[in-house]
Amino acid sequence: MNLAIELHPPGKGSQRVSVGGRLDTHTFEDLDEALAPLLNRRLHSLVLDLSGLEYISSAGIRSIFKARKTLAPHGGKVLLVNPQPQIQKVLDMVKAVPLNEIFSSTAEADAYLDAMQRKVLDAAEGDAD
Amino acid sequence: MQMRLFIPREHARVDDLNASLEAVLANNGVSRAIQGDVRLIVEELAGNAIEHGDLARVGAEEHELCVDIGIREHVLTLEFRESGAPFNPLEQPPPDLDADILDRATGGLGLHLVRQVAEQAHYQRVGNYNVLRLTLRIPTEEDDA
Repeated sequence: MNLAIELHPPGKGSQRVSVGGRLDTHTFEDLDEALAPLLNRRLHSLVLDLSGLEYISSAGIRSIFKARKTLAPHGGKVLLVNPQPQIQKVLDMVKAVPLNEIFSSTAEADAYLDAMQRKVLDAAEGDAD
Repeated sequence: MQMRLFIPREHARVDDLNASLEAVLANNGVSRAIQGDVRLIVEELAGNAIEHGDLARVGAEEHELCVDIGIREHVLTLEFRESGAPFNPLEQPPPDLDADILDRATGGLGLHLVRQVAEQAHYQRVGNYNVLRLTLRIPTEEDDA
């Protein structure tokens, strides 16, 4: 099985992408290509829904690192949702994701993003006072 | 169960090799989790040999990667054999996993994963060949096979 990539309708500065199948030497370039135009849009968050991902290797991890590095200069984050046991194990073995950037459901990730957004707005209002 | 597979040094063939191994492992009742571990080891090691192997030193007749796989009782054994310059994957420096996540070097992750997943690993230089022997324990409960 190959890689399945589904781009969801973009939200405000946020983009959700479902990734299924296998993310490895043979498929990582497909993901890099699909993400490239999104990463140009100064997203504050890229949410990768990994529910359907069955396998990841170091090549796939490098793709996630690349996305994170592209978003970081303007404060954007890559959040991972619902990694399956093999994926979680591999991510853990190379400490690929900080614990606060990994979520068990998209609802949980959305709640986190809302909270972040509120913090930004509060800070902006504080500045205005 | 014991079998030997040869493949040309090409990324696309590594996928074929993994497809064959997966079928063999499934037929032998090996769980999906262990199948995933084997796939990871094979992809990382073969990929490494293909990308870093010194082709100038590889004779045409030795151009292939060879993988032996064996299952005995509750132990799965994988042996990789490739010709080329001496290279011990077990002695490569580990990646700095505690460096700032944005400054992390992305090299060395694959071999690190191999060392983590394998229960035991042993490297030997045999003539012109790098031989790496790995073992994994197969859990007795096949509840997710």
